[in-house]
Amino acid sequence: MFPPRPRVPEGDAAIRATDNDAALARLSAVRRGYLTDPFITPLVPRAHLEPSRPPLINIGTYVRSEALDELVNGWLALSAQEGAKCQIVSMGAGSDTRFWRIATGPSRDNLARYIEIDFPEITTKKAMAIRKSKDLSAVLGKPEDVSLANGGTALHSPVYHLLAADLRLPPAESLAPLLTTGPEPLLSPSLPTLLLFECVLVYMSPAASGSLLQWFTDYFSSQSSSPTSSPSVLGCIVYEMFALGDQFGKVMVNNLKARNVSLPGAEPYPTFESLPNRFLKHGWEVAKALTLKDIRREYISQAELERISQLEMLDEIEELELVLAHYAITWGVKLPSNADGLKAQWREWSIKRKATS
Amino acid sequence: MPSDLDKFVQIEQLLRCEPISEEQVKRLCIKAREILIEEANVQVVDSPVTVRREICGDIHGQFWDMMELFKVGGPCPETNYLFMGDFVDRGFYSVETFLLLLALKVRYPERMTLIRGNHESRQITQVYGFYDECQRKYGSSNVWRWCCEVFDYLALGAIIDGRVFCVHGGLSPSLQGIDQIRTIDRKQEVPHDGAMCDLLWSDPDDIVGWGLSPRGAGYLFGGDIVKMFAHRNGIDLIARAHQLAMEGYKLMFDKTIVTVWSAPNYCYRCGNVASILELDEHLAQEYKVFSHAPSDVRSIPAKRPPADYFL
Repeated sequence: MFPPRPRVPEGDAAIRATDNDAALARLSAVRRGYLTDPFITPLVPRAHLEPSRPPLINIGTYVRSEALDELVNGWLALSAQEGAKCQIVSMGAGSDTRFWRIATGPSRDNLARYIEIDFPEITTKKAMAIRKSKDLSAVLGKPEDVSLANGGTALHSPVYHLLAADLRLPPAESLAPLLTTGPEPLLSPSLPTLLLFECVLVYMSPAASGSLLQWFTDYFSSQSSSPTSSPSVLGCIVYEMFALGDQFGKVMVNNLKARNVSLPGAEPYPTFESLPNRFLKHGWEVAKALTLKDIRREYISQAELERISQLEMLDEIEELELVLAHYAITWGVKLPSNADGLKAQWREWSIKRKATS
Repeated sequence: MPSDLDKFVQIEQLLRCEPISEEQVKRLCIKAREILIEEANVQVVDSPVTVRREICGDIHGQFWDMMELFKVGGPCPETNYLFMGDFVDRGFYSVETFLLLLALKVRYPERMTLIRGNHESRQITQVYGFYDECQRKYGSSNVWRWCCEVFDYLALGAIIDGRVFCVHGGLSPSLQGIDQIRTIDRKQEVPHDGAMCDLLWSDPDDIVGWGLSPRGAGYLFGGDIVKMFAHRNGIDLIARAHQLAMEGYKLMFDKTIVTVWSAPNYCYRCGNVASILELDEHLAQEYKVFSHAPSDVRSIPAKRPPADYFL
C-alpha cells in the first residue's frame, strides 16, 4: 500500500492557499527582525505556533517588501506634489497589511481610498480578523463608520474598503458593479490611482489579466470621464515570478504543480526584457522592471544590507541570487492626455539606486 | 572483514536509506572518532594507481542523489572517494547521508576521505535542518550531538599525490602555506573567524587580492592569491566545493582552482546538474556530470512540502 499523500488543496483553493504562504513569510521576516509590521500578527491565525521560514525566504520577503514600499510611498509623495489625494486598489490583496501601515504613517492624509479585492473566502476571513482585532479596527475609523456588507464578504469604512470578486471574470461583470457604477462610484477616475498586483496575475491567464488592465486603462481615459473632471494618472505595480523557461523555472513549475498551483500568467514573460510589455501593450507611457536580485544588490542601502546580514547566517549567495533572479517588480504609468498640466514628475517614479555592485 | 567491525557499520541497511538505532549511531560515532583523531589536519591521500579516485563536493542530505553519484563513480571500496564536506543540512536525508559516509569511512578508512564543510557545525546545523531532522527521526538531540562531536574531528583539507589540494571553501589571508594548516588545533566547533573558519567559508572571486565575503564569514580571494598559493606549495590545482555550480563544476583562474558541486537539483529547487572529479594516475581531470534521482516517492518524502517559493 502506498503511504498517505499529504492533503493538497485543489483548484482555486490551491491558489487561495498561496495567500497563507505569503502571510507566513511576512510574519517570519517580521519576527526575525527584517521588517517592522505590527499588523501582520492579528491577520495570521495562531501566529505564535507558526515556525519561522528559512533565511533565504526571509531575505527575499524583505527585499520585495522594501522595494514595493518605496514605490508605493513614491506614488503617495507624487500625489501630494500634484495636490491630490490618491486611490490605491490592491488586487488579490489577501492578508496584506499595507493599508494599516500607510494609515498610521506620515502619508496617511494623502490617501483618499484604499480598496482591497480578493476571493470571497479570503475577504470573509480578513473582515472577521479585522473585527476581532482592536489594533486593526481602530485604524479604520469610528466603529459606527465601519460596516460589514454582502453577507460578511465585504467591509466598508471611510477610506478602507474590502471587496469580494473573482478577478478572472470579465471586469465589466466583476469589477464594474463594485467600483465604477452609480452616481458616486467608489473609484474616481479623476484622482491619481495606483493598482497593486502582488503575486496575483501569474495565476491567471494572460487574456484575463490583459482585459483587467485594459478595463482600468479605459476607465482612466478621457472618453469615460465626465465633462467636469478630467481623468488622472494611473499607475500599476506587478510583483511576481518570470523567466520560467530555464532549468530553475521548470523545476519551479513542477514543484508548484505538486501543490496544484499553475502559473499560466508567466508565459508571456520569458525574459527580463519582455516585462515592460505588460504595460506598453496597453499604450502606457512608462514601463520599468527590476529583478529582486538587482534590487538586493543595488537598490537596498549598504547600511540596511549590513543590518540584515547580522540577523541570520545566510550560507548560500548563489542559491539566493538564482531564486531572486526569477522574481521581478514591474511598474508602469499611464498619463492622461492633458499630461502637460501635471505638476508632479510622474515619469520619474522609480526605485532609487543606493549602491553600485 | 573482521567481525567486530560489523558491530559498527550497518552499511547494507544504510545503503537502503533505513535508519539505524540510536545505540548503533553512538557506537559508529565513537569508532569514527578513533579513526579520525589519527588523521592530520591536511590528510595525505596517495592511492594506488590502479584504483579509481573521485573527488566530490556538497551533498546536503540528498541521499538518493548521492546514490546516483555512486552509480557514476562506482561503489566504494572499489573506487577511492574524497568528499569535501557539507554532507548535512537542506536535504531531507542528512542523517542517512552522513551515517552512510561515516560507516564507509569506518569500514574502509583508506578508501574514504571525509573533510569538514562549513555545515559540519553545531551553529549552522541548528538553522539549516540537520538538528531538526535528528530530533524528528530519533525524538532527541543525542544523534545530532554525537554527529557534531565527529564533525570536530574531521580533517580540514587533503592533499592528493602532493599536487592537488582539497578544501571545502578556500584560502585564508592568515595562511601562506599548507604546512601552516597543520599547526591548527582543529578539534573544536568551527570558529567565527581565523584560519580554520576561512578554509571552510571562503570563495574565489574575480577580484585582485582579498575581499569581504557576502556570507559574513571567510573571505573572497582572487586569481593572484590562488596562483601564489599554488606556486608556493608546489600544487597544480585547488579542488573545493561550497558554491552551487549550475553545470556541476566551475574552473577558474587558468584552471588553477575548481569548484565541484555534487548536489543535483539542489534543495529540490535549483534545477542544476552535479559532478564529481575523477583523477587518473597522472592527475588528469575528468568531470563526470550527473542529474538528480528520478523524482518518485524516494526523493521527496510524502509528508514534506515541496520547496519554498515566494507566492
